[in-house]
Amino acid sequence: MLTVRGLTKTYATADGDFQALKGIDFDVPQGGFYTLLGESGCGKSTTLRCVAGLEEPDGGSIAIAGQVVTDIERGTQVPAFERDIGLVFQSYAIWPHMDVFGNVAYPLRVQRPRLAAGDIKARVMDALRLVGMESFANRQATKLSGGQQQRVAFARALVRRPKLLLLDEPLSNLDAKLREQMRFELQELISRTGVTTLYVTHDQSEALAMSDTVAVMSAGRIVQSGAPREVYGRPIDRTVADFLGSANFLRGRVVEAQDGVATVALNGGASTVHVPSRAGLAAGATVDVIFRPEDVTTHLDPSDGAIECVLERVVFQGGSSECQLRLGSTALRSVVHPSLAARPGDRAWIVLQPERCILFAAE
Amino acid sequence: MAVQAEEAAPIVRAARRQRRGQLGLAGILLLAGAAAAALYLVLAPLVALLFTAFRGPSDLLPFEPGAHWTFDNLVEVYVKTPLLSTVLPNTAIFVLGSVAVTFFTAFTLAWLVERTDLPWRTPIFTAVLFPLLVPGIVMAFAWTLLFAPNAGWVNVALRALLGLDTPGPINIFSMPGLILCQGIASVPFVFLLLGAAMRTMNPALEEASSASGARPLTTFLRVTLPVLRPGVLAPLILATLVALEQFEMPLIIGFPARINVFATRLYFDLNPEDELPAYGRVAAAALLFLAAAVILLIDYNHLIRRAERFVTVTGKGYRPTRYALGRWRLPALTFVGLYLAVGAILPSIVLVWTSFSGGSTDSLNLEAYRALFADRRFWPAVGNTFIVAGLSAGLITLIGALLAWQILRLRFPGRRLLDAVSFMSIGIPSVITGFAVMVLHLTLPIGLYGTVWILVLAYSYRLAVSTRLSRASLMQIHSELEEASAASGGRWLDTVRRVVLPLLAPSLLASFLLLFIVGFREFTIPLVLQSQDNWVLSVIMWRLQADRQTAQAAAVGTLILLFVTPVIFVLRRHLLSRQGES
Repeated sequence: MLTVRGLTKTYATADGDFQALKGIDFDVPQGGFYTLLGESGCGKSTTLRCVAGLEEPDGGSIAIAGQVVTDIERGTQVPAFERDIGLVFQSYAIWPHMDVFGNVAYPLRVQRPRLAAGDIKARVMDALRLVGMESFANRQATKLSGGQQQRVAFARALVRRPKLLLLDEPLSNLDAKLREQMRFELQELISRTGVTTLYVTHDQSEALAMSDTVAVMSAGRIVQSGAPREVYGRPIDRTVADFLGSANFLRGRVVEAQDGVATVALNGGASTVHVPSRAGLAAGATVDVIFRPEDVTTHLDPSDGAIECVLERVVFQGGSSECQLRLGSTALRSVVHPSLAARPGDRAWIVLQPERCILFAAE
Repeated sequence: MAVQAEEAAPIVRAARRQRRGQLGLAGILLLAGAAAAALYLVLAPLVALLFTAFRGPSDLLPFEPGAHWTFDNLVEVYVKTPLLSTVLPNTAIFVLGSVAVTFFTAFTLAWLVERTDLPWRTPIFTAVLFPLLVPGIVMAFAWTLLFAPNAGWVNVALRALLGLDTPGPINIFSMPGLILCQGIASVPFVFLLLGAAMRTMNPALEEASSASGARPLTTFLRVTLPVLRPGVLAPLILATLVALEQFEMPLIIGFPARINVFATRLYFDLNPEDELPAYGRVAAAALLFLAAAVILLIDYNHLIRRAERFVTVTGKGYRPTRYALGRWRLPALTFVGLYLAVGAILPSIVLVWTSFSGGSTDSLNLEAYRALFADRRFWPAVGNTFIVAGLSAGLITLIGALLAWQILRLRFPGRRLLDAVSFMSIGIPSVITGFAVMVLHLTLPIGLYGTVWILVLAYSYRLAVSTRLSRASLMQIHSELEEASAASGGRWLDTVRRVVLPLLAPSLLASFLLLFIVGFREFTIPLVLQSQDNWVLSVIMWRLQADRQTAQAAAVGTLILLFVTPVIFVLRRHLLSRQGES
């Protein structure tokens, strides 16, 4: 449905050239929900703008629904207005001089050949109904709340029934509670229309909750892509692990590697864990054991195989608490039940779940 | 994959292709047309001027048969004649003096209106604008009626009051008279700029000073003035540029006193009593002043950029606190009253009265108006005034908006040049523009010289007004609003027509109004380019005044006042409503 190959883009800046895209390749199947996830400046928005035709890459090609819209090597660059897309901006870009109806009707009114006024009206009202804004048709655009503006932006993006929906951080301007609500509405809306979606965000929880496929971007490249559970559970490197949720890193040494299981000595040999290992990690290698705060249990009493730490702080977060621990010079976090009664300076013992740990060769 | 020949530079080719794709042919033609028009309106006359300075002999046009390359003009102007010893010092004294008067008056007025509890602030604000709209030539004429040493009203009154029987005591035909008149005439626009700077100042800066234990005067000197500095210096430079190009006051008031400044000197060289016009010498002399103006302009550009960074607007709707005038209230009102009397009230009264009395007899009559309306040149001049002001204002607004859009939104070679050209017009003295357009069109065989249309072209060099206003409001329009149109399937023309223009409309209207007023007031350019067929009202008035048809000249002045007065109220409402928004 959407095919992107070898996208490169360099900006000239005051401090020299900045390589925003260093070769981006991905495919989105018909009806798929594909998310580009990364910190600001990683190139995710540039990629989306290239797909939209608002930006021209220096190299590479893009095809939407089988039609090549960009092929730099052959000099093809279809302008944005001829691409079959709907786009929702981070700022929503609702035109302040039009009412809600005018904003949503715009894509139909500029269409050639012209549509009959009756058809336009019917389709605009359909689109407004889809986002639950039909009673606001005659409201001035400037008199809308953030959430309402966003719904209008969605209606405007969908009214042409585009083949591809592009969403550029559409939720990031909303406050936390509304964001969560809109996330579900958005998902519902997209699954109802079945439109193929390319989504750009820096919010990992949005990406994990909504996507079929998440692609983590960093410094102009896609570092890892896959189903949300897979990317979260099997990060390909430290960057991805760190970016997707919080991760603990424990430095250790492989004592023995056998049958895909490595025995790792932690904390200078004070304790050992048995972790599923990748090929190529031989005995003697220095490694990082990576695990998520929710994959470790914390106890105030020693037990067999537990690692002793110093408890530095317990942060109450409502439904759970976060334990901040220290093992030698390494800071660790764990999720505990809020009933855990501990004081800073107490000793604590953590138990890892080996099957949820990942090993990387230390850098 | 087969390597094709044109793959050598795929990026450049594609970039060009995309631009054409996004804009469409109509868009490209429109934008390129605007750019070409800007070059033709601003740059071409200056190039013609440059050629003229280096072509001789001086009484020939640069490309007339017999003309050749030479330095004679420069030698003549800068070595042999007393340009440097008389005109230059005169111009310097005139400019510095009048800017000082303007600044002292405008700063005091702006401070009183914006930052104190002065009573009747709104009516005062309105009245201060008066000399902004009334053409300088009308003000100059009215002031000579008031302050001429023998017959001036104020002198007659003072003599009666003091029991004197010599001419005077005030002699407007002197350097101090010239400086005061020009100083007062320039007050309104400096007042507006300073008022805006004072209004947008973050009151928390002053409040923090008070909260730190500083007394009001200390706060004013240590916080307010330094914070306002860029916002104050920029209008100062602008006032200097305006004074440098002033022509009306030096012509009406300076000429009888034998005081020549640069603008009048150029004019008289161009219209000598019994010789041919000395094009080459005029051009050579113009170069010096053009250079001075460009230096000021670069400073100005630098300063407004700093001012934009420096002055912080809170956006919370807080207004700076107003100082209680207390016992200073009466002196303050006296100051305001004195300015308004000299700048608005007395000139209006003297014009109206003179137009009905013929200036000499005490019986009121309509003779002057009858004679004026019967003059076969009068009605065409009325038409010309409105046609030229309206057309040039429309033309500049359109071109300026297109320029601002492409400078801001596109990347193309020559963008900076275009930006500089569009901005440069602030600094070009209008007498130089008039002369440069004259040389250009005497040289180009397109038959515009002597028509109304050459005035439209010459007036239209003031591109900067429109590009600045459009640019400021385009910067407010988030580029995503335009991209949303493209992403919705809108072609460039759709985007411009349905998104950009409606959002830009208020500033386009403001630009049109402002330029219309400027065009309506214009005197220098139509005087330099005058012919039998293209007289405008200001030129008619000057002619009548020079021919000692005082009552008829006053009648023209009165009619201009009649037209301008309602405009002042429109302008005030516009300015005050914008003030309310910000």
